Amino acid sequence: MLGQTELVWLLAAVAKGDQTAFERLYVATRAKLYGVSVRILRRADLADEVLQETYFKVWRSAGEFNPRLASPITWMVAIARNGALDMLRKRTEASIEDEPQANEVPAAEVDPLAGRQMTDELKRLIDCMGALDEEHRRVILLAYYNGWSREQLAVKFDKPVNTIKTWLRRGLIQIRECLGA
Amino acid sequence: MTTSEDDRDLLAAEYVLGTLDADDRANVQMLLAIDPEFAETIGKWERRLGELHQLVDQLEPPAASWDRIQARIANAPPTGKLWLPTAEDLAKAPAAPKPAPEISEAEARAAAEVKAPNAEIISLTERVRLWRGRTVMAGALAACVAALLAAREFVPGLMPPPRIVEKPVEVIRTVEVPVPSQRMAEFVAVFQKDDASPAFLLTVDVERRTLSVRKVGAEQPPDKSYQLWILPAGATAPRSLGLLEEREFTVRRALADYDGPTLSTATFGISLEPQGGSPTGGPTGPVLHGKLLQTAPAGFPSATP
Repeated sequence: MLGQTELVWLLAAVAKGDQTAFERLYVATRAKLYGVSVRILRRADLADEVLQETYFKVWRSAGEFNPRLASPITWMVAIARNGALDMLRKRTEASIEDEPQANEVPAAEVDPLAGRQMTDELKRLIDCMGALDEEHRRVILLAYYNGWSREQLAVKFDKPVNTIKTWLRRGLIQIRECLGA
Repeated sequence: MTTSEDDRDLLAAEYVLGTLDADDRANVQMLLAIDPEFAETIGKWERRLGELHQLVDQLEPPAASWDRIQARIANAPPTGKLWLPTAEDLAKAPAAPKPAPEISEAEARAAAEVKAPNAEIISLTERVRLWRGRTVMAGALAACVAALLAAREFVPGLMPPPRIVEKPVEVIRTVEVPVPSQRMAEFVAVFQKDDASPAFLLTVDVERRTLSVRKVGAEQPPDKSYQLWILPAGATAPRSLGLLEEREFTVRRALADYDGPTLSTATFGISLEPQGGSPTGGPTGPVLHGKLLQTAPAGFPSATP
């Protein structure tokens, strides 16, 4: 993937309607965004739909990206994740039996020692998460990576939804305090 | 934090995390659209949790996706929000540098349409001058890179730390941002090549005609000096603004030779030179990676001045 500064510049160019920049941006980021969507939706066709919607939004609103407030890739991933989550929630509620696989995702745990390139921010976050109770950490990671709702987490952990909500909140508060404002 | 503030904050957190159901998500999205403060709360959580994406495996999408995306954007220009100050803002700032002449009519029209610039980062014209086009600069720019201009209240600590640039990029890009009204006077640029090189934060106060450079990165190589340059719009060769000595954390320079409009449209650069500065009067520094010319993306849209 391109460096952060280049992505910032590509976004700035895209905001002016530059299609070549947009293609470069797409080439540089598509695999990450598609990977995020597939992970949450677990269906290639739906992830593809979200991917298209995501880039359409990026194209339309690149001018709103503020490099002081976010890194370009994090900003784009947030758009993709939100698209995937919106789709997942709507589908799950409409016909949960059509999507049994959504509830059968193997528990994915993050190995912080996986040898990937990590930014300092991620290292800090992982350090903070290391201090969480294991259950609090697991619900947060499963929610982030798999897009599981409180209800899905309740099924997975065989706990009342309120317990899950409490775990989530405690974990999130602890992360907030650990990272500072 | 009061209980209700805490509830709001955690609602934002759970939205970002993704655990809310469809109704709650819709509610949050509505709130997000009408309440800037809440939007900022969401933004904070995106910054806190968003980095987790780094651990998600990449996966190539089908080739056909790109065709469909292209078809969709074909008739839908970017909205251009926040991109330009309003004509009113420009009118209110008579002392301000005039918008650069190369602003197109379309951009000027867009300027008039923008409702509320928040003046955080508003790029009126982004005049990227790749110094590569100038023979005098070829092979010269050792330390550099991208410049982001922001408003006076710019706080360096808020900048996301620069990441490793995977391919060395050695071009100078500068965004000039005539910011409306009282914020007009100052510009900030960040120069950095990669993690191993010093980063520089350049601040130009157009009204007072001063410039300061803060070094925020690593040590500079021994027996070398960093030299600061200015290339006024339309000029053919950069002029030296002096050396950035290693011991100095912050360098200040008076820019009495240049007027406000010149400063606000000039390109600034930093090159790595032999100790004591360039012997030729122009940037001569060694090409650190030999990719000076190529790595500015060929299709890089802003590459044309």
